[in-house]
This record gives sequence, structure tokens and C-alpha cells, in this order.
Amino acid sequence: MTVKIEVIAAPGCKKCASAQDELRAVAASVLGEGRLVWREVNVLEELDYAVSLGVLAMPAIAVNGELKFSSLPTPEQFRAVLLRLEPR
Amino acid sequence: MYTIGKIAALADVSADTLRYYEKEGLITPASKTAAGYRLYNDEAVRRIRFIKHAQHCGFSLSDVKELLTLKHAESACCADVRSLAIEKKLRIEHKLKALQVMSRALDDLIRSCEGGEQATGDCPILAALENSLRVVSR
Repeated sequence: MTVKIEVIAAPGCKKCASAQDELRAVAASVLGEGRLVWREVNVLEELDYAVSLGVLAMPAIAVNGELKFSSLPTPEQFRAVLLRLEPR
Repeated sequence: MYTIGKIAALADVSADTLRYYEKEGLITPASKTAAGYRLYNDEAVRRIRFIKHAQHCGFSLSDVKELLTLKHAESACCADVRSLAIEKKLRIEHKLKALQVMSRALDDLIRSCEGGEQATGDCPILAALENSLRVVSR
């Protein structure tokens, strides 16, 4: 039932930090806080995991372990992807 | 000021490489002689060394161009440069992973064949590659 959203970024990335709050709010409104598992992945601490997801650019966003965005989406693009998710 | 031959020797690159860098917009001669020969200054020497060092770390010439742009952009900060370096590392790690997969596939092929003098028609490596081709073309 839960949806795991991971934002893969480098610490200190200002554009990532400012956009994350907005995207998290979009995710919470679409999925509800109860279904949302939000994780911020430090690419340097979890490099192997980032590589296994296919991350080549940052910030990247994976939904349920699948890379969905290789750069920051607009809130509308993000919302559209979340709305298309199969119920789990 | 240095002629192209002198700066090439100083920076340990060829004159052709310098002309290519110029074509790619990475360096520009400070001036030209009356006869049209390129003349370079110390800044060009520093820039060529920067390019070579960056290439040594895996950056392509187009990455170097981006790095140089960041270097001179007022709005850019160190985090932007660091992100480029991390993204380069991610690409290298991807390539390493792909090479490891290739290496393991070769291990399987090598294990399947004992070598020897039998005809290549009986070679398990060639047979395995033929079979995988058939699977791919299906």
C-alpha cells in the first residue's frame, strides 16, 4: 500500500533542497501521508545503490525502486507520475 | 608570449591538439603576429594544463567546457562543480558495472570450453554465442 519515493542527490545541493519540500508536499497530497515513504538518499553514501537504479544525473527521483526522473520534475510532472501508479 | 610550437612543448601537447582546442572554444590565442601566427600567454598554458588534468579525471572536452563556464560564471558555486564531478563518477561507476557484467559473461564462456585442438565447429564458446544470437533474433 505504501509508495516509496527516493530523492537521490548530493548533500549541499541547494536546488535539490528547495525543490524537495515542494515535491514532498505534492506526494503527500496525492498519496496521503499514511501511504508515503519519503527518503533522501545521499549519493555519496549510497553510490552503489544509485548506480543500480541507473542514476547518471542529480537530483534523480525513484518511485518504488524504479528511476522515474533524472532531473527535477515540475510539480505537475511529478503529480502525473504519482497518479499513474498502480495501486499496491 | 609563446608561439604554438613553444606552448605545445611547454604543455606537452601537440600543435594539432591546440588547434582542436581552439576550434572547440576551449582556448584562444592572446594575439597573432603580423604574419598571422598564433601567440599565446601564460593564461593559455594554465588553461591547457587544466584541460589535461580534467581529462585525466575522466572529464570529456564538453565537460571541460562546462567546468570552464562554471569557473567564470558569477552565479555558479562550488556545489555546482562538485555535482559535475559526482555525476562523472556515477558514469564511471556505471561503465565499471557494465564491464564487470561483460567480464563475468566471459568467465562463463571460458569455463564452458577446455580449449584443445578440436575443430572450431565443436567450440563451445562459438556455439554459446551462436545460441545467444538465435535467442536475440527470436
